[in-house]
Amino acid sequence: MALKMEFTFDDKTYRRYMNGFLTVMHCHHYMSLLSKLAIDFDDIGGVRILCESVEDSVRPMIDDYCAKNNLASFADKLDVGRQYYSAMGMGVMKISGDPGQGEVTLTRSHVDQGWTKKWGNYNAPVNHWTRGYIAAMFAAAAGKPPRSYEVAETASMVMGKPTSVFTVKSK
Amino acid sequence: MTVQRDVVVRQLVEMQVQADEEGLIPGFNVLVNMLPVAFWNTFTQRMMDAVPADRREKLEAELVNCALECGYNTGYGIITSEEFKSVVMPMVTEGAKDVLRGAYAVFTAWGWAKSGIVQIKEGERMVVRAPDYYEADIASGYKSGFMIRGVSSAFFDLAYGKPYPEGLKTFKCVQTAGVEVGDPFGEFVVTR
Repeated sequence: MALKMEFTFDDKTYRRYMNGFLTVMHCHHYMSLLSKLAIDFDDIGGVRILCESVEDSVRPMIDDYCAKNNLASFADKLDVGRQYYSAMGMGVMKISGDPGQGEVTLTRSHVDQGWTKKWGNYNAPVNHWTRGYIAAMFAAAAGKPPRSYEVAETASMVMGKPTSVFTVKSK
Repeated sequence: MTVQRDVVVRQLVEMQVQADEEGLIPGFNVLVNMLPVAFWNTFTQRMMDAVPADRREKLEAELVNCALECGYNTGYGIITSEEFKSVVMPMVTEGAKDVLRGAYAVFTAWGWAKSGIVQIKEGERMVVRAPDYYEADIASGYKSGFMIRGVSSAFFDLAYGKPYPEGLKTFKCVQTAGVEVGDPFGEFVVTR
């Protein structure tokens, strides 16, 4: 089922909303630089903070949509996550799996294509934003609390691969 | 006539930005994303909470720099875009000063801040005030308008620095007031 999207703009505050959630537009430069900042500050937990910040901010959007549209199955909820990812401009996901484990392949990726556009290839995966997103998506679909999934990027566009691949395991 | 922010904002908002069939939003010569504000603010606040005191200044500088490079490159894409030419340029009567006003209208339309230039000395100094901006939602107790600081100096770089892409970091921006610290508006001062 196609995701129903409602974009609104508050004339008083000039804030933008997507399905009732406050959103803002940014570009691949900002995303690439923030991702690199997280990597550069990883000694204080930068990458973990990035992943968890995504997981905690995206989860309410998926939960809210599924509740309002009476979507209850694991597959339907995952599909909401998949479609929201594209609606946010983050790329295209192909998803397989169950509440125990899964795999996500990106055929298009804002983070990877943006990084490559800005700096070229890199010697390690950089799409920690999507790791956090996948963790939120699987936890929402399975009705589990945050931090229930381990997500690893096993192939990466910024490392020259044609797609990025993530493995998902329930903790 | 000069650039009228509210008119520009309304026209730009009506140009609904949506992802293409590849789940990407190309526009203004960049890839655009549309993410929850909660993500950007949560990341900033948790990083600031985690950083030790002796590296806090470094982290703040890096957060500002992210927006500086973003604002410089995207800002250039904005002011050279067809959207800008069609919506803003017909109102431009005061050269670079009006282009800057137009850039702030786009800044507002993207959801960054309800902001505007309140004082400008061409090529020298600019004061921007924002009664509402998403970084003000960070319950920080310290001035946390890192994104507006970076973008403001970037826009001034584009207007009065060397031609793109040589003018980056000609100017700097400090935050002198903030909603997040109890002031009625955020204030951002750009100087050389």
